Amino acid sequence: MAEVIQILILGMALGGVYALMGSGLSLVFGVMRIVNLAHPVLIMAGAYVAYWAARLYGIDPLLTLPIAAVILAATGVILYKLVFEREARSAKYSEMTVLLTFALAMVLEGALGTAFTNTQRVTSPDYATDAFFIGDIFIPKGQLYAGIVSLAIISALALFLKYSRFGYAIRATTQNREAAELLGVNVNLVGLVSFAIGIGLAGAAGSLVSFVFSFFPAKHWEWIAVLMSLVVLGGMGSIFGTVLASFILAVVAAFIGAYFGATWSTLTFFVALFVVLLVRPQGIFGEKPELA
Amino acid sequence: MSGLLEVSNVVAGYGDGPAILDGANLSVQPGKVHCIIGPNGAGKSTLLKTIVGMLKIRQGSVTFKGASLKGKRPDQILRRGICFVPQERALFPKMTVRENLRMGGFSLADKSNLEKRIDEIEERFPILGERRDQHAGTMSGGQQQTLAMARTLILKPEIVMLDEPSLGLAPKIVKEVFSIMRLMADEGITILLVEQNAMMGLKHADWGVVLDLGRTLFEGPAAEVLTDPRIQELYLGGKKAA
Repeated sequence: MAEVIQILILGMALGGVYALMGSGLSLVFGVMRIVNLAHPVLIMAGAYVAYWAARLYGIDPLLTLPIAAVILAATGVILYKLVFEREARSAKYSEMTVLLTFALAMVLEGALGTAFTNTQRVTSPDYATDAFFIGDIFIPKGQLYAGIVSLAIISALALFLKYSRFGYAIRATTQNREAAELLGVNVNLVGLVSFAIGIGLAGAAGSLVSFVFSFFPAKHWEWIAVLMSLVVLGGMGSIFGTVLASFILAVVAAFIGAYFGATWSTLTFFVALFVVLLVRPQGIFGEKPELA
Repeated sequence: MSGLLEVSNVVAGYGDGPAILDGANLSVQPGKVHCIIGPNGAGKSTLLKTIVGMLKIRQGSVTFKGASLKGKRPDQILRRGICFVPQERALFPKMTVRENLRMGGFSLADKSNLEKRIDEIEERFPILGERRDQHAGTMSGGQQQTLAMARTLILKPEIVMLDEPSLGLAPKIVKEVFSIMRLMADEGITILLVEQNAMMGLKHADWGVVLDLGRTLFEGPAAEVLTDPRIQELYLGGKKAA
């Protein structure tokens, strides 16, 4: 029984980090219909901000988190203006963004590789290798802190979306862009700010990733399928769905890893992506796709 | 006489595509219900979308109280007092009824009275009060239409434009929808109605406008339009109005 609880705790803690990694992706898709394949490489960029802040100035990655979020959000504004804004009203926008963001991911990976090489990195604050013990059960401090911070950020995002005026505008634009515009929402501004928030969340997630996982620029390819499986299972555009899917898949992956070996745990996400697309492509909370 | 809203020789279309409106004219008089009829593809919905700023005016002019609306965004036109309820009702399906009503007041600069206004709307339309916490997407078509129309009242608009409010609704519900429209008109709100069911639309209107191939063919008192033999032949299937 203790073993099951142990696996459950480890899975839940990682699920919190996955949730933050996926929620920005989900927000950007929900509002702008951008399938952002560059999201994981932007998480890597956030991880590098935390890594170099720790390496050069000894700043804890948890303290670097807001800085990484702001730097990446500003990067998001630039990327949106340069790459995404022009065709935002195109009927084939989502399809176009798959190719656009794929190319963007390659460019950013190349830039990060050139700047920082493909050496594996990890930030090592003291808590990253420490744990709390409750009897025979241990809770790694790094994963626990990362999970708690992730949930705190997602809760703040949820409150912002639920109660603030701009949150109303974002939710309205997500659900019916044309209607939002007719009611006075500046949907272009909403698109820009949502994209910036989404990429800012990638930056925040990157700070946490920097001490939970080792990373290098090309690692983002591994994350794409993981994040896509979270977003697809949750329902494209549903942040709550993404959070739920993150916990479900992280826990399942933890159990598979524990009983069948770590190699198989990653397979959980690929299988989930495959099965969901076959059986329920709209995911748990997504809209049923319309037949063209 | 110059109207509250004047559309003069407007040419407009979707994106870079062909012009759907090709010299459309319209003069909207305050406090009246105007019904625009015409065959499919005549440009009826396009005209409303052009007035509200969703489509660019390529040529011609649209003025509201004498001021040009050309180049204005939908949110800017809304703030001047023109509300538009499109065919799809423009609701937010995963927001509650109350949240949808709140979105109706999104453009208000002063929101201090917004909740009070919403309470008033719920009193006038009890079904909205009863279902305030229900997601709009789970309501019936008639209830959704009621919500979409009631939501415009939050802004106390001068003109409400309704694009085929009867679409997909049962006859009994259509009557209710038109009675809401009449209620709005009785309060002094000018109505611009596009209706595929021309007979129904004209019966509830003061003024009829016939559009074809993007141009205004004929307009006049709704009762006259309804009985005009040319219109009967062209658009109403040659049947006599009841």
